[in-house]
Amino acid sequence: MLHVENLTAAIDGKSILNGLDLDIGLDEVHAIMGPNGSGKSTFAHALAGRDGYDIGGTATLDGVDLLDLEPEERAAAGVFVGFQYPVEIPGVNNMYFLRTAVNSVRRTRGDTEIGARDFLAVAQKAMDLVEMKEDFLHRAVNAGFSGGEKKRNEILQMAVMEPRLAVLDETDSGLDIDALRIVASGVNALRGPERSMIVITHYQRLLDYIKPDFVHVLVDGRIVESGDHTLALQLEKHGYADFVNHDLDDAPERPLSEAAR
Amino acid sequence: MVAALPYPTKRDEAWRYAPHKVLAALTFDDSVSEGAVATESLSGQIPALDGPRIVLVGGVVDVSLSRLDALPTGLTLITFEQARSETPELLEAHFAHDDEHPLDTFAALNQAFGEHGAVIDVADGQTIDTPIQIVDLALADVSGNASSSGVVIRLGARASATVVETRLGEGESGGSNVRTTTTIGDNANLRHIVLQDMASTQVHLGSAKARLGAASILEVHLFNLGARYGRFGYDVVLAGDGATAELNGLYFGAGDQILDQQINAVHDAPNCTSRQSFRGILDNESTGVFNGGIDVRPGADGTDAEQSNNNLLLSDRAEANTQPRLEILADEVACKHGATVGQLDADALYYMRTRGIPTEDARRLLIQGFADQAVDALEDEVLRNWILERLRDDG
Repeated sequence: MLHVENLTAAIDGKSILNGLDLDIGLDEVHAIMGPNGSGKSTFAHALAGRDGYDIGGTATLDGVDLLDLEPEERAAAGVFVGFQYPVEIPGVNNMYFLRTAVNSVRRTRGDTEIGARDFLAVAQKAMDLVEMKEDFLHRAVNAGFSGGEKKRNEILQMAVMEPRLAVLDETDSGLDIDALRIVASGVNALRGPERSMIVITHYQRLLDYIKPDFVHVLVDGRIVESGDHTLALQLEKHGYADFVNHDLDDAPERPLSEAAR
Repeated sequence: MVAALPYPTKRDEAWRYAPHKVLAALTFDDSVSEGAVATESLSGQIPALDGPRIVLVGGVVDVSLSRLDALPTGLTLITFEQARSETPELLEAHFAHDDEHPLDTFAALNQAFGEHGAVIDVADGQTIDTPIQIVDLALADVSGNASSSGVVIRLGARASATVVETRLGEGESGGSNVRTTTTIGDNANLRHIVLQDMASTQVHLGSAKARLGAASILEVHLFNLGARYGRFGYDVVLAGDGATAELNGLYFGAGDQILDQQINAVHDAPNCTSRQSFRGILDNESTGVFNGGIDVRPGADGTDAEQSNNNLLLSDRAEANTQPRLEILADEVACKHGATVGQLDADALYYMRTRGIPTEDARRLLIQGFADQAVDALEDEVLRNWILERLRDDG
């Protein structure tokens, strides 16, 4: 369904993704793990279509070349990226924003738009999923939200937008254990035969809640190892050091001689 | 009197950004009414409020467009002409010469030539629920006349009312020069909403002075949207113990508009509160000016004053000028002020686009969101919708 081949991304002449290959089938959840600075967030932004990157290689979703599309066109093609740092939009009502998003995508696809009353039912269902109270819909998008509320709002958006491919970038960062449980159960409820997901995370913790079908290790902008969920457990135990041929700030200490190997 | 006043120049801080050549081309002759305005054409332009109203066309009251029958109990709504013969004391404050708070040149011209206008008087203890509307429509005028008219608002003690002033204009030149004088009695409560949406080739010179009695509340919403040069000066004197003035405003400029707000809160009694909150959106080559003063007089102890001015620039040729002026001559005073000038948040635009919202729609949503923080405070839905529609046309 998603085919990524030799994807490169550079910003201001500094290359961050260095030939990333990844294939994802339907109804699969792939976890991408990696140390800080390995290019995890850049991969999410490269799929979402953020300006400012020099992009090379291929990324297709259901055969559609994503890299030629504007961010809003990618959304219409079925890409949804849940961001690590969701943006606050003061003055824009959350409910209005959600419906505008859903209807924009429908318009681009040539589908009929959904009315306010019908949408309320859709939104209610999504709210239940992430255990949010209704006043949430009447606040401005993410404005003054706690870290956990912002992440739940991302999952809420994913639920109403019903994407083909959901990319969740460090959705677990900054969450306490209750918020993590809510976010994870929301994600699990949205797994299904029509959809695939990429869960980007630094820690194994999230994968206790969202069990991936595949785990990939991203280092220096490349996938260096792939496996099943046991790979995540192995990373938890040994860190990323085995996959890195230079020092990392967050990698466990190890002798220089070994690092130089 | 008028001849003695110097014409303002760029050297006057309060007139620094005014288009002086445009102003110099204006004339301030006696008001003339140059033609009838159809009721239908008017109703398409002003907020669809029911209730009493006085309409001035070219600076002269048009009785046929006004609604003066079946007034609520406690409300007097009359023309300056009527007041002169029946209750001249109501006009005293408007035509008085106040050496302590002198009028600027154009307000003084208005005082000299603005013989027409509307008087709103609410008796002690009366609450008027229906908004009272004053409409000022400036007509096209080949001589570049800026018609002078006036509004007098007087609220008795414990009275309560909402006044909506709508200022419009048609045509290529000229404009209007409207002056409002407000007196608010003790424990009274006035909501004063001003909508300025003249043609972008005209000039609007608006000025208002309000004097607040003890424990009274003035809530102002100023929407400065139209005119080549749209100026609004609002001076509030908190004259009674414990009075509150909330001054909110939104200006939205495009083309080569200059939208100029000159706001002053004078704390002349103890324990008063003032809030100034103005937002500007500036596109193309437009210029926004916020010159906001907080003046705490000796003896006005326990003053609580805040001021904020936030600007959103939609073009790199647009300009926002913000100038706080604080003069504090009392003790135990809390004063805060802050100003920002920013652009549309690129991260927010990207975020919205990743949610499928095309760039133009995302921009419009962000602009509306910025404006909404000023529009939201309007409780009346008719007014909210009028503003939002106007902003949609612009955005």
